[in-house]
Amino acid sequence: MSDFDDKLARHISELSKEKQPERDLWRGIELGITSAQNQASNDDVSSSTVTSRQWIAIAASVCLVTVLWFAAPFAFKADESRSDGYAFINAMSVQQQQQVNSLLASYQSTPALTQDWQEQLKELDDAADVIKAALKDDPDNSALIKMLHHVYQQQIALIERVHAPKWQQI
Amino acid sequence: MEHTQQRVVHANVVFGNKSEHELICKAKEGDKQAFRTLYDDHIGRVYALCYRLTGEKGMAEDASQEVFIQLWKKIANFDGQSKFQTWLHSVTANIAISYMRKQKGWVQRMFNLENSGINEMPAEENSTDVDLEALIIRLPERARMVFVLHALEGYRHEDIAKMLNMAVGSSKAQFFRAKQLLKEFMGVDDE
Repeated sequence: MSDFDDKLARHISELSKEKQPERDLWRGIELGITSAQNQASNDDVSSSTVTSRQWIAIAASVCLVTVLWFAAPFAFKADESRSDGYAFINAMSVQQQQQVNSLLASYQSTPALTQDWQEQLKELDDAADVIKAALKDDPDNSALIKMLHHVYQQQIALIERVHAPKWQQI
Repeated sequence: MEHTQQRVVHANVVFGNKSEHELICKAKEGDKQAFRTLYDDHIGRVYALCYRLTGEKGMAEDASQEVFIQLWKKIANFDGQSKFQTWLHSVTANIAISYMRKQKGWVQRMFNLENSGINEMPAEENSTDVDLEALIIRLPERARMVFVLHALEGYRHEDIAKMLNMAVGSSKAQFFRAKQLLKEFMGVDDE
């Protein structure tokens, strides 16, 4: 065993076995469990459908809770920092919509290379909506913000690609 | 003296297991409060493993949630033959890997992302006070997963190969790569 192996073994033994998550995960787990209990009563669906449906149910529940949260500002004292965080997401979405609209307007007379690009754009829109719904609950989640940013970038890239593919420019 | 200490530790383990056994039985019967206590007792270890495997807090949080949701569904399968913690760790590792696979597939399909290589950025040399966890997180994905499973969790390369769907030789090679990178990160010269 080399000196480095000894050193590494020592560091590994000193490594903490536990690490606490920064946010409370129980709420999401409880939602998942409740959803699992509801699904258990429905034995007609396949296991893969059960999983995807559970997540849809969780997402729907989270959406409902967050919509209620933001729709009733006088009933609940909303956390100011959360609102500020989501205001940034809103601004990002508005800016994206403007950019998409202006791109679509500029390509209005250019024929698209594929037929289903609008469907793809809609899928990306749906993905953005799901991420935004999750961000309402956790507006400071950097991974989600990054994801949303990627979806938006992908939308722009898609519009540009189907209207002005690179191989045509060569 | 040493013998006495061993007996004391053993007694603690027995008492601990007894209460945990009751919690597991209650959870199997659908007692959410008992399951919550199991969650409180084990989330630290589950999250640590998920974090080290995924290398990202958000994914580790999601994977940990998935672990406990699956655990709720599958706790009836725990027959008590092995230690609950060992069983839970095995469940965690498999769910975290499967979760990463699904996420990666989805993310790659949606965003066409490639490995950014950020994790491979060289760390600053700091040989006196090493934060091994931070260095592990910097490892490339496959090397990190193999390292965590082998060096931290004690899995054999044969088992890792099956879990990660790779050849045994690849698992060993990734482990070697991980060690070389850690050596580099720690600023240790090649002997």
